[in-house]
Amino acid sequence: MDVPRLAGIAFDVLSLSSILVLLVLGMGIIVSMMGIFNLAHGELVLLGAFTVYLAHKVGLGVGLGIVLAPIVVGAAGLLLERSVVRHFYSRPISALLATWAVGMMIRESVRAGLHGRSEVVVAPFSGTFAIGNVYLSQWRVAIVLLTVAVIAASYLLLQRTRVGLQVRATLDNASLARASGIATGRVYALTFAFGSALAGLAGALIVPLFALYADLGVTFLVRSFLAVMVGGVGSFEGPILGAGAVGLGSGVLPWVVAPVLADALVFVIAIALMRFMPNGLVHRG
Amino acid sequence: MRGSARTLPAIEVLALLLATALPLILSQFQVIFLTRLLILSLLALSFDFAWGQGGVFSFGQGLFFGLGAYVAALLATRADMTSAFVAIPLAMLAGLVVASLFGGFLLLGRRPASLIYIGMATLAASYAAQRLAAGWSKIGGQNGVSGVPFPTLGGADLEPGRGFYYVALALLVAVYLAFRYLSRSQFGLVLAAARDNESRVGALGYRTAPYKWLVFALAGGVAGLSGGLSAFHEGFAGPNLLGVLTSTQAVLYVLVGGVGTLAGAVGGVFVMEYASLELSTRFASAWPVILGGILLLVIMFLPNGLIGAVISDRARMPTFGDRRAKPKRVPVDVSEEETVGSASA
Repeated sequence: MDVPRLAGIAFDVLSLSSILVLLVLGMGIIVSMMGIFNLAHGELVLLGAFTVYLAHKVGLGVGLGIVLAPIVVGAAGLLLERSVVRHFYSRPISALLATWAVGMMIRESVRAGLHGRSEVVVAPFSGTFAIGNVYLSQWRVAIVLLTVAVIAASYLLLQRTRVGLQVRATLDNASLARASGIATGRVYALTFAFGSALAGLAGALIVPLFALYADLGVTFLVRSFLAVMVGGVGSFEGPILGAGAVGLGSGVLPWVVAPVLADALVFVIAIALMRFMPNGLVHRG
Repeated sequence: MRGSARTLPAIEVLALLLATALPLILSQFQVIFLTRLLILSLLALSFDFAWGQGGVFSFGQGLFFGLGAYVAALLATRADMTSAFVAIPLAMLAGLVVASLFGGFLLLGRRPASLIYIGMATLAASYAAQRLAAGWSKIGGQNGVSGVPFPTLGGADLEPGRGFYYVALALLVAVYLAFRYLSRSQFGLVLAAARDNESRVGALGYRTAPYKWLVFALAGGVAGLSGGLSAFHEGFAGPNLLGVLTSTQAVLYVLVGGVGTLAGAVGGVFVMEYASLELSTRFASAWPVILGGILLLVIMFLPNGLIGAVISDRARMPTFGDRRAKPKRVPVDVSEEETVGSASA
């Protein structure tokens, strides 16, 4: 295999992994914090993509839409937490199903809004970089860079700020946190909103790569959950590592076995990995 | 307390009488629609048995349903094997074998798997199977296998209609009775105890994992049976049958109808499908949104489903000793893991 081709594959893996990281970051925070597997997460991603489309449609432009998406979806997440998720903190299976129902409502509303069609959203810039013989899509490079920035910002927020401290305290021991005067209910709501905002941002960034269609979120949902669980629930770096691993598997396996088989094999490997390493790759002592 | 212990048997007998008599006065279209519901009821029963009785959150029943459908469809179209006595048992067997292998991996072994892990792993497996079937051109790829001929029963074609209806009804009643018997037997008693407090049952000397494994395997077999029937009835097997849509559909039927009652699962299919039929034509695009809303309301406000409004919690449980004795109120531990269809919630 020649070098440019290899570099091309490496970049594909990198950009796929970044997309997954963006998708799972919000999901991972919500799962780790509150033990809620939010099956509406895919639809929060979809909502982010839809916001960009709407912004483009009314003439605000795609760029502004991408800025607006996390704000809009964060607000939607806050509403979702206050109205539905809040009731299910001690019942994870019911939470799974309730959020699935919410996701279904959002998804089908968007489907009705789009009249069942898919719409193309053009990236703010769409050229390619050329490094020697390797051509890299500018928007994909932008996604990789933005992903790094978002990870760094989230990490700093969680590790270096007072709010982050309260969040970590609540994650570690909710009753002790409550006893220490932290309004854990509010922490949960804000964390959920924050995770949702990240989902919205992810949707806004990936929609130019795919198209806007109602099942955009569902497509990535199962894969993202596997990434979170493979990486390990309860840590910040676990889901990111898991997304990297799933992205690597999805990118490399099609070159080793038939692509059809590779696609399913990624899931099989992930299921097996989770069985033997139930705490994930990153285990928090 | 709602209803007496006799309410559930009364409902069951009434439903069976209605199901036997109705097709005689209904139109061909209505009978075909009802046959579809009977077949879907088998799928719903399979999930209800796994989750409501076994406490195994099998979020991937579509995998076994679709597998059964593919087995029946491929046998009929590629191997000319249309005999209902061969193709349908083989579809069931396929579901049973794959579920027992997959269930053995998930449930047996030294480390018990968490509820959420089982849910996500089964869902992921179902999704993976869907993608595999969609990309595999030898079994029709995205288009699936269509043009499945009618099954033959002792030399005669079994066309969708009254004949097919009664075959499906007989199978549904057989599965229902088998599941009903199992859930009220000693076997079911261990499962019920394990749902309440798994570690306490373990301390009494029961290994609960093999029980759950058996439940999961049987549920897979019944889902396969349902899929095989569906392939013959609809003349079609496609990748979507294997996937997330079918899997979640099975869960939602049971949830709406009421978890752990078996009767609730069947009722859920009839209520939801009938409502879909009536309302989807009237509010074409809004219907799925309304459906989502109804589901959300049921999950939030009716944790025992529709049937929970009619029958008591005690009718769903296996009993031991004198059935007429008053139930003792036992204080319930507030545990982290949720128990199936917890009434206290």
